[in-house]
Amino acid sequence: MEIFLQSLISGLLVGGLYAIIGLGMSLIMGVLKIINLAHGQLMMVAMYISWSAWNYLGVDPYLSVIFSVPLTFYLAKFLSKYLLNPLIEKDSILPENQVLMTVGIGMVLVELARFLFTSDYRSVQTSYTGQAWDLGGISISIPLLIAFLVSLLLTAGLFYLLRNTDLGRSIRATAQDRLAASLMGVSAEKITILTYGIGSALIAAAGTFFLPIFYLYPDVGPEFTAKAFVITILGGLGSTVGAITGGIVLALAETFGATYLSSGYRDAYGLVIFLLVLVFLPGGLKSLTKV
Amino acid sequence: MKFGKLLIALLSVTFLFSFNGCSKKDNGPIKIGVILPLTGSKAKFGAMEKNSYELAKAEINAKGGINGRKIDFAYEDDTGKPDVGRAAAEKLINVDKVPMLAGGYSSSVTFAAAAVAQQYKTPFLVNTGSVDKITQPAAFNLTVDDGAKFYIYRMNPPVSEYASGLETLLSEVVKPASVFLIHENTTFGTKGAKSFAKTAAKLGIKVLGNESYSSGTVDFKPILLNAKKLKPDMVYMISYVMDAAMLMKQARELNFKPNLYVGAGAGFTMPAFKNNAGKASEGVFSATLWHQTLPIPGAKEFFDNYVKKYAGAGPDYHGAEAYSAAYVVADVLKRCKGDYSKENIKTALDATDMMTAFGPVKFTSYGEKIHQNKMTTYVVQWQDGSLKLVWPKNLANAPIVYPIDYNKIWK
Repeated sequence: MEIFLQSLISGLLVGGLYAIIGLGMSLIMGVLKIINLAHGQLMMVAMYISWSAWNYLGVDPYLSVIFSVPLTFYLAKFLSKYLLNPLIEKDSILPENQVLMTVGIGMVLVELARFLFTSDYRSVQTSYTGQAWDLGGISISIPLLIAFLVSLLLTAGLFYLLRNTDLGRSIRATAQDRLAASLMGVSAEKITILTYGIGSALIAAAGTFFLPIFYLYPDVGPEFTAKAFVITILGGLGSTVGAITGGIVLALAETFGATYLSSGYRDAYGLVIFLLVLVFLPGGLKSLTKV
Repeated sequence: MKFGKLLIALLSVTFLFSFNGCSKKDNGPIKIGVILPLTGSKAKFGAMEKNSYELAKAEINAKGGINGRKIDFAYEDDTGKPDVGRAAAEKLINVDKVPMLAGGYSSSVTFAAAAVAQQYKTPFLVNTGSVDKITQPAAFNLTVDDGAKFYIYRMNPPVSEYASGLETLLSEVVKPASVFLIHENTTFGTKGAKSFAKTAAKLGIKVLGNESYSSGTVDFKPILLNAKKLKPDMVYMISYVMDAAMLMKQARELNFKPNLYVGAGAGFTMPAFKNNAGKASEGVFSATLWHQTLPIPGAKEFFDNYVKKYAGAGPDYHGAEAYSAAYVVADVLKRCKGDYSKENIKTALDATDMMTAFGPVKFTSYGEKIHQNKMTTYVVQWQDGSLKLVWPKNLANAPIVYPIDYNKIWK
């Protein structure tokens, strides 16, 4: 029983983390209709910003979110405006080319990080890293709990933004039909750039809150790009609620599989769920909740 | 028009000859191919090994090089992936035309590259890749009597022997009754766990469980919980550096206190392990192949020179392997007496018998292996934030801290 509860709690907490990683991807995929293969790499950039702020300026990793989120937001807006958008404008260029462009962006970011920070593994050491609450034999990692709460907040925030603001309505309109949205006076180009920025800001927040739990090196990204992709498909494109449930479902599948079957195939359990969803629920969990 | 064609023909012929001229030049540096993971998740280790090769190169060339010619290493990045490693070996052999290969980090990548070297009859001096089959001719469709046809040589001990130094420590001092094995799901991890299970059977230690994980896992708690439930005396882990740090951090979070934690080398001896695991690294034992305080001539000098040149926390055994491999390459080439053909280099490799900063190097045959260097392994322990050599006793530079008082060191 203790092991079951511990697995459940670990799975839920890690799921929260996966959810923030998936949120940004889901948003970008919904509007730009491309897989952002530079997603994990943008997270890596944010992690390096937070790490630098901690290492050189002594800023608490959680507080460094005030640097990592805006910097990544502007970086992503720049990338989207000058590298991705010109490819959308030209009809002769296939949408696949934007995906290829994100691969290129990812590679450049990784090698830049390697150039600036070398391949060394980095992590932050604070008073709360490695701290855990002991609840009757069940250990709850405090940094993971914080990341989980932040992910709930971000999901709620994004949900509100998309539902109840002009900007959100414009984003949803562009996601549904780019041409129709432009005819209604929405500047699709601006919204596209902004969406890429917001999606990247979300992954930046994920990176910053992930830093005290994990570690950092230039190639940390790709694995999380893959995770984000799985979560997005599980949850459904552009769905905030889908992203958080997708993240938690993935993490629970991984954790329970690792506990009760074999931990060597941890990644496989997530992919089994992924396949089942593709076969039986092609629209993702979104098609159940409709939000 | 005709003149133009003639000119092009002439130019291309000159071009051909100019290429030919390159290989005829006899005073240029002798180029040896080195395959290492310079990018990807193992890049940290690759960088350390490359630095060590470069350090050795500078020293060798400063001392007169190879019979008056300089030595040069052509590095090729294997990115930690077997297919890329294969391509890297093919490129070095066919495009760069190196007469010999060295390096080889991950087991699976090294094995893939070794197959290419064997195919092109190019001598390959492996310095880190540790899965046993790399020096087992049977894995290449040869027999142990085919030494003349087998081009792979290995300086480091195979993974099945990593824990040989640990064996005596366990049987004489610790005497655990049970062990739980945690290993990464790679060739290196799986084979290492298998051979340690054999060792455990020999020593009468009961194996309570054997769990694998994939490198880069965020949450190790399911494995650790399963282990904790079984109350083993000892936890034996085969992990690269950051997984090692994550394992120990989360073991501390779970308050999991076996009598001892032992790492099988790889990640557990690296300074980055301590930096990232923090307090959770205290008291952890690890098998190791090398330590700078060992009474091996040149070991301390190598460590100090490395720190002087590259700063940082200094190299661990991986660096020493690469550094010494460079010296073995230089020694072999010197004994080639000017004829740097593949066959001649192979003959010189067979006759190798030298002392390096990593220990004595001589390629012997035993069991199913040929061209394998046999070495002693040691046990180190993290004590107050530094790595101390604790076993064998006659070489140790610090007493063993055992039993371990986790309440004190994990506080």
